[in-house]
Amino acid sequence: MTQIAGTGTLPAAAVPRGARHSRPRDSRSSRSPAKSILLHGTLIVASLIAIGPIVWVLLSSLKPGYAIQSSDLTLVKDPTLANYRYVLGETSFLRWFGNSVVVAAFTMAVGIFFSATTGYALSRFNFPGRRPLMMVFLVTQMFPVAILIVPIYTIMANLGLINTLPSLIIANLTIAVPFCAWMLKGYFDSIPTSLDEAASIDGCGPFATFWRVVLPLARPAIAVTAFYSFLTAWGEVAYASAFIQEDRKFTLAYGLQQFVPQFNPQWEYLTAAAVLVTVPAGIVFFFAQRHLVSGLTAGGTKG
Amino acid sequence: MRRIAKGIVVLASTTLALTLAACGGEEKAADEKPKTDPASLKAELTWWDTSDPKNEGPAFQELIAKFNQTYPNVKINYQSVPFGEAQNKFKTAAQAKTGAPDILRAEVAWVPEFASLGHLYALDGSELLADESDFLSTPLSSNKFDGKTYGVPQVTDSLALMYNKELFTKAGIAEAPKTWAELKTTAQTIKQKTGVDGLFVNPAGYFMLPFLYGEGGDLVDTQAKKIVVNSEKNVAGLNVAKDLIASGAAAKPPANDSYGTMMTLFKEKKVAMIINGPWEVSNVKNAPAFGGLENLGVAPVPAGSARAGAPVGGHNYVIWSGMPQEKVDAAVAFVKFMSSAESQAFLAEKLGLLPTRKSAYDVASVKSNPTISAFKPVVEAAVERPWIPEAGQFFGPLDQMATEVLIQGKDPKASLDAVANKYKSEVVTGYGL
Amino acid sequence: MTTVTADPAPAPAPAGRRPKQPSRLRRSWDKHWYAWAMVIPVVVVLAVLIFYPLVRGIYLSFTNLTEANQAAEICTRSITGSEVCKPNPNRWEFVGLDNYVRVLSGEVGEFWQWTAVTLIWTVACVVFHYGLGLGLAVMLNRPMWGRTLYRILLVLPWAVPAFVSAFAWKFIFNERFGLANSLLTAVGIDPVDWFGDWRTSLLTAIVTNIWLGVPFMMVALLGGMQTIPAELYEAAEIDGATPWQRFKNITLPGLRPVSMTVILLGTIWTFNMFPIIFLVTEGQPAGESEILVTGAYRAAFEGIRNYSLSSTYGVLILSILLVFSVFYRRMLRKQGEVW
Repeated sequence: MTQIAGTGTLPAAAVPRGARHSRPRDSRSSRSPAKSILLHGTLIVASLIAIGPIVWVLLSSLKPGYAIQSSDLTLVKDPTLANYRYVLGETSFLRWFGNSVVVAAFTMAVGIFFSATTGYALSRFNFPGRRPLMMVFLVTQMFPVAILIVPIYTIMANLGLINTLPSLIIANLTIAVPFCAWMLKGYFDSIPTSLDEAASIDGCGPFATFWRVVLPLARPAIAVTAFYSFLTAWGEVAYASAFIQEDRKFTLAYGLQQFVPQFNPQWEYLTAAAVLVTVPAGIVFFFAQRHLVSGLTAGGTKG
Repeated sequence: MRRIAKGIVVLASTTLALTLAACGGEEKAADEKPKTDPASLKAELTWWDTSDPKNEGPAFQELIAKFNQTYPNVKINYQSVPFGEAQNKFKTAAQAKTGAPDILRAEVAWVPEFASLGHLYALDGSELLADESDFLSTPLSSNKFDGKTYGVPQVTDSLALMYNKELFTKAGIAEAPKTWAELKTTAQTIKQKTGVDGLFVNPAGYFMLPFLYGEGGDLVDTQAKKIVVNSEKNVAGLNVAKDLIASGAAAKPPANDSYGTMMTLFKEKKVAMIINGPWEVSNVKNAPAFGGLENLGVAPVPAGSARAGAPVGGHNYVIWSGMPQEKVDAAVAFVKFMSSAESQAFLAEKLGLLPTRKSAYDVASVKSNPTISAFKPVVEAAVERPWIPEAGQFFGPLDQMATEVLIQGKDPKASLDAVANKYKSEVVTGYGL
Repeated sequence: MTTVTADPAPAPAPAGRRPKQPSRLRRSWDKHWYAWAMVIPVVVVLAVLIFYPLVRGIYLSFTNLTEANQAAEICTRSITGSEVCKPNPNRWEFVGLDNYVRVLSGEVGEFWQWTAVTLIWTVACVVFHYGLGLGLAVMLNRPMWGRTLYRILLVLPWAVPAFVSAFAWKFIFNERFGLANSLLTAVGIDPVDWFGDWRTSLLTAIVTNIWLGVPFMMVALLGGMQTIPAELYEAAEIDGATPWQRFKNITLPGLRPVSMTVILLGTIWTFNMFPIIFLVTEGQPAGESEILVTGAYRAAFEGIRNYSLSSTYGVLILSILLVFSVFYRRMLRKQGEVW
């Protein structure tokens, strides 16, 4: 199933120029200075572009409201922390924060569990219904959500879930799981099946093989999908604005929208709240990204 | 889903919190004489308020507290819902028969729509309409659908010419222009003498209505069931607006966020005149560069060849038909309290909202309020809009038309014909062209 | 997690190691029950929440159902206690293919214009997402000074709620007060009316979406690179392969399963990406930068909501994406990939 086997066909004739070739897992010292500059230069430019608008949001959050949209473009104007004080003190921000954490954490945990089992089944077993199922997963992503909101609301209402956090968790899962299952299937595909077979010969059942052998090897993949599920739930607005009706049950992203009504939007509070929202997501990534580096070690060390 | 209905302008939110707010307002609801003991009324009601949560919300919550002094056992769950999403949110919930609020603050154009879908209680025969004649007739008319009345007006508003007095003085202009022609020369004089733009025209459907009304035009004729949006009168009106921009009298507007641009420029004194409503007064007042209310002039919109006219807007209180019958008494008591002359005077004083009751205008604090006095003639001359369930769909095509004509420079007649065709095929299919 | 110890056999290979079973169904069940058990919860949730509304949507697209005509009778409750119900005068009915004819002929909405814009939008976004994401992932996959810092900075755009980013970019492209025009003016170029022309208007939305979407691609591909066994690289190096050859012959093939997924799903999502166009360009000028979903939303959901029309658009969008994914799959199969 994997294409890696094909790499045996590497053209042996290609002659590298002596010292220039560096091992990918090699230390940084072997990179020539020119290459280093190019590499870091590119990454610095990319990072600047990435954080540029965020810096703008951060700077805006320190301005009084009237100075955010203005003819004279200034980076800093009458800096103040009043916006943060208002957001933290006068609104239900902390409650929304708690709600978002609950929704995002459950979406992440439940999403990973289901998509990992599903992805594994799709990757390893050629069961009847496998290909149609993968197609069905795709089709569920093809019908625009904007059009589905009203019928989904009716279903949620029939289940008695309107104005509850589980309604959001379930709705978020319908976005996250099909994608994560597909992703994980892709990652599982690149883990050699010989490992499963070895485990199976050792007497592991399919669940045990999955749990004890494959899952630990797929840590980087799990980290990616975990992060994806978390952020999907963290930033989701469409379902939240349809299903949630009480201020104390808002999620952060939806709560933030309350600051910017169509007329007389309070940009200063939106930006301050956005900064407060970005920080925890950044911290989650900081921890998740460690798993991105510690994937498969050489050879199939047994899990 | 955040629904941005640019056209259906939020007719909301004036926050004046005038400095003279210190006195008055303490007068108790004197003529509030419930037949039964108010304390015996027990219920829990949810109210979705679509007003500005920061500027206006607190005043409404104060009113609720006052209400609870008389009705201690009626609990009001106050929920602020952004205006932009309230319409679809209410309909979705009402249709699923779960989760809709008992009472909603609905924009004037929503009421016929909700009523036609059976989502509202008809209020005829209740205490709420006992003194119907006290309401201003134009705001009240937006609550009528198919011979019944489905809401009670909360606040009314309209569009006016708002101008910067300081820039007027600098340019040597004594009074606000009364016709579009005068507006043009005024704007050009200001540009010449002060260097800043004289006028900003927001290229959006709702803001085109004064130009269309000025020549005697309208969108549809509900009596004759006829689409009249592409009439010669409307073409003439649009040509007036187009000429204002083409001649340089008005600044060239951007296609996107033109409303925000208009307000920013006006607050920074970079444009002398705009056409906008009372809901922006507090915003202007709080702008540090503008110079406060003393610098803000308000006049009726200039007249065209036929008349001077601006669209009526505002908000109403409506009651969801899915609310159980046993809560009716409490809901009626609440709406009655909120729309009483005293409450309206309170809101006028606190927020500068324009009352919808004639008697509220007789209250001393309202009479002496300069902004309300300035807007009163504007509101009295406001033109009634077609109150049909489809009215909400009129503005999408109209916005598109405004961009085509004012920004892309297309021919008004051709653009209006396209709007008429769209109305015929998508909005009011039963009407004639 | 249940640990199954009783049944030692079932390896994925279907080779008949077991004695013959009584019935085919029984055999199939014995062999595959665990696979089915692994997927069933997901299938149930999706069937209830997505598949049922979707099938109903297909059905609705052949009717003229709207919010106003869906009920058999309209009841007016009076505050005084009575309730009057009248049969709905224009009850919904089947209209066959009318909706499709009206949409495809351009009588309602601007289907073909929206489709063209959607295609430009999707191709541009996906190409840049994947290209930039892959480039950054390759760079970040090497050990170097400051790698964690770069990773965090580059992924931050993903952590900001999308609608906040949309507003931030809208401010940047504001024609009067935006940073973009200030920079242009500073270097002596005339400011641009970004939203006055559909091409520049669409450009602002594409830039916003690229900025939003690259971090996800980067992280997904970075994860994919980590599952490529390191000894492949070592072996290649012993064979004397250049970095480019290693990238072409090891990294890219190793990323294939992941790439295939992110490109396929990225295309589907971008095609249906609602908030960016809706918030950043608002379809300006005059609806010319509208894509299919936003156009359909405005056409069907402003005022009285037209469920049959929105479903028609939904089915058309679904059909376009289905055709795309079938072709995509066929293309992949030609190169030896199956799914």
